[in-house]
Amino acid sequence: MAGIRVATTTQWGNHVTESNDISRRTFLSRGAAVGGAVVLAGAAGSALSACSTSSSSSSSTAAASGSKPGVGTGTPVRGGSLTVGTVAEVDGFYSPANHWDANGYLYALAIYDPLCAIAADGSIQPYLCQSITPNSTFDTWTMTLRPNIKFSDGSALTSAVVVSNYQVLNASLLTGQALTQITSVTAPDAMTVVYKLAAPNPGFAAGLTTQVGFVFGQAMIDAVKAGNSRPTPVGTGPFIYQSWEPNNHFTATRNPNYWRAGLPYLDQITYRPIPDTVQREATLKTGGIDMAMSTDPNTIKRFSGQTGYQVVDTLTGVLGEPSMAFIMLNTVVAPTNDLRIRQALAMSLDQATVQKIFGGGYAKPATGLFLSDSQYYSDTGYPKYNPAAAKKLVAAYAAEHGTPSLQLLTITDPRLAQVVQIIQQMWNQVGFDVTIGQVEQATIINDFIAGKFQAATSYQFGTIDPDLNYVWWSTTTAKPVGSIALNFARNSDPVIEQNMLTGRHSTDKAARVKAYQTVNEQLAKDLPYLWLEQYIFSEVATTRVQNFANPTLPSGAPQYAFNEGIFVPTQIWLAK
Amino acid sequence: MGKYLLRRLLQLVVVSFVISVLAFLLVHLLPGDPTTTILGPNDTAANRAILMKQLGLDLPLWQQYLTWLGAIFQGNFGNSYLNHQSVTHILATGAPVDFELILISQTIAFSVAVPLALVTSRKPNRPLDNVSTTSTFGLLALPPFVVAPILVAVFAVGLGWFPATGYTPFTQSPATNIHQMILPSVAITAGSIAVYYRLLRSDLISTLQQDFITMARSKGLSSRRIMWRHAFRPSSFSLLAAAGINIGALIAGTFVVELLFAMPGIGYALVQAVEQRDYLVVQGIALVVAIAYVIIQFIIDFIFTIVDPRVVRE
Repeated sequence: MAGIRVATTTQWGNHVTESNDISRRTFLSRGAAVGGAVVLAGAAGSALSACSTSSSSSSSTAAASGSKPGVGTGTPVRGGSLTVGTVAEVDGFYSPANHWDANGYLYALAIYDPLCAIAADGSIQPYLCQSITPNSTFDTWTMTLRPNIKFSDGSALTSAVVVSNYQVLNASLLTGQALTQITSVTAPDAMTVVYKLAAPNPGFAAGLTTQVGFVFGQAMIDAVKAGNSRPTPVGTGPFIYQSWEPNNHFTATRNPNYWRAGLPYLDQITYRPIPDTVQREATLKTGGIDMAMSTDPNTIKRFSGQTGYQVVDTLTGVLGEPSMAFIMLNTVVAPTNDLRIRQALAMSLDQATVQKIFGGGYAKPATGLFLSDSQYYSDTGYPKYNPAAAKKLVAAYAAEHGTPSLQLLTITDPRLAQVVQIIQQMWNQVGFDVTIGQVEQATIINDFIAGKFQAATSYQFGTIDPDLNYVWWSTTTAKPVGSIALNFARNSDPVIEQNMLTGRHSTDKAARVKAYQTVNEQLAKDLPYLWLEQYIFSEVATTRVQNFANPTLPSGAPQYAFNEGIFVPTQIWLAK
Repeated sequence: MGKYLLRRLLQLVVVSFVISVLAFLLVHLLPGDPTTTILGPNDTAANRAILMKQLGLDLPLWQQYLTWLGAIFQGNFGNSYLNHQSVTHILATGAPVDFELILISQTIAFSVAVPLALVTSRKPNRPLDNVSTTSTFGLLALPPFVVAPILVAVFAVGLGWFPATGYTPFTQSPATNIHQMILPSVAITAGSIAVYYRLLRSDLISTLQQDFITMARSKGLSSRRIMWRHAFRPSSFSLLAAAGINIGALIAGTFVVELLFAMPGIGYALVQAVEQRDYLVVQGIALVVAIAYVIIQFIIDFIFTIVDPRVVRE
């Protein structure tokens, strides 16, 4: 489902916007955030213990072999050039100034490394750092960097560079907003960094897996200070920046001095933005690329079971919350400010039909934020499809206020245009008078911020830790129409607020799970969002491409492999 | 002739000025601003205000316009707000894509349309003419976004003759470049062939009924000579006018093809910039494209004076 994706944020977090297929944003849409985010959950506790454990040695071994798609079989082969077709272009490599969406993270993971990374079990693990440990009150975090790591320009990774990174990130209008919880970052010695926070945060380390946790070289900072707004990327990553021609290609070559011994396997990696899904798939079939990213579920249908290809997707194995496609309802303007109307809209929206047509038949019924295999999943009580009951609710409303009319807003995207037309029919059949509005991506985001909409298509919320979605649901960010508000739906629910805060500050796993289940259930009662389906990412590769969904952490533990469309290039090889 | 050219040059200056004002105003009149794209939706009003100031967007429009225009006179079109590329670089890397697309597609279009029109106009309403007319009518109804996927399915995926997407600069690898340009060029050729063929055919049929053609025939000139030397030239006015408009429209108007074939042309860059409210990129590309359009019309007008000197006298 195409839709906009707006940045998912947290106290850390602005990550990104994903430009979708031109089919949508692509025309450029810049929306949102990808998960990179956070801690796991459940476990603040287990995550923390993991973080405080020093990793042992770098690993160059291939992870588990097998016949699973994306999991390498046989002995890794060194050399070769991999070309990946992406869904959109990025706006740059300098994290204080550029938005990193899924594509941004793909590029970044080639030339930079994050301080921490997400393990396959959802815990936050050291990556560039050797350990990160909180004090007893979780408001001071001490990080020790790995020794003997060098940037691509030969300079050393030291605590001074990390502090310098923080300073420019904090000064940035873009990323500074994600760092407000940090009161100071100091470097007591060459390899130690101490973060002091304004308030306890057991999930602090999770933020270091996101855009603000990727370390760039001092040379980039110096170049920007000297007036170069497009500094040549300097990182510690597995590849070294070679060339970038926006809308054409980004190429990086093997870092011969990479600190993870024996890695990477590839000599070169090239990313080619090909906005049109069908053309991207055709390019894969004709050998123009070796791998293709996709946000169209039909890609899975078209390539699953095809000889010569392997498909990895986010249908299963999503940690935390998947990105969800939904209709957002403005809860403070008529008629959607009336709960009966929101219930009627929910009950008259045949989710199964929408999913069948636009989800490639893959999407499962969505009654909330979490998939059924998530620890946060619970029966939310989300209204079932019941047009007869919807009709009664509409009739009751109409008796008091007249026929409820509303505009269903969407962006200029052919697929979304079809979606809203079908939904318009469904709603009109139970007594609504629905019109459709189409605007550009930039316009719809402004409308969201200002509350100038009644119902609108959107997609959002993909993140590992539900806390990252605090700003979207908080009572503190719900403002009147006309005022800037990040709680776009303006659903001001103290129960949600209380439970989001419980989830943020509690170190008890069960309490956190319960809190987020309550939030999910409360959203099903308030109905600021009418769920359509999970936003599905997929990746298709020729069988020659090995191990693209099976990365390991420096400790050797499995890494979260396909996080909202993001793969790690370090341990990929090409079969002969 | 000199006076004529001078007059057209003066017109060019005036039109360019008007275009610069319109390009500037139109993009600023669009709802939204670049701060939303740059900072994302999750930022504060204070930060947006700071960014507006940093970008100079808090100044009155006339002041912003004069600043922009002044910089252009110094050869500085500014930088993208988003990826910080200079607009000059975007134009320099994107223009060759559009130029090649236009050159190859129009060469193909003329190569097909002109001979076909010359042949069929000699014997109108015969089977060949009927087939050609019907076929080109069909081509006219096929927009590039329909033709492109069909071409890719058949000639790239099916036959494997051409790559499905991609662009390599001519200077980097001429052979690869030409190989990659064929399908996208053909995708935008279809409509041009149809227009050129139908215009030239009808003008030729009309011309062939003129007395001077009858005279040429009575003198025993060969049909080939009559068609090329006597009929084609006076029949080419509509063709020239249409070519001027068509080629002008293709400058940055090939964005659909650029998008489908993942080619970094200025059309694609322009559409992206509009969506992201990347003002300086939009203004710079719009200005250059509009001026290029005017220059093409200027060239076409000049060719008119060669084809028919009466144009200057009039």
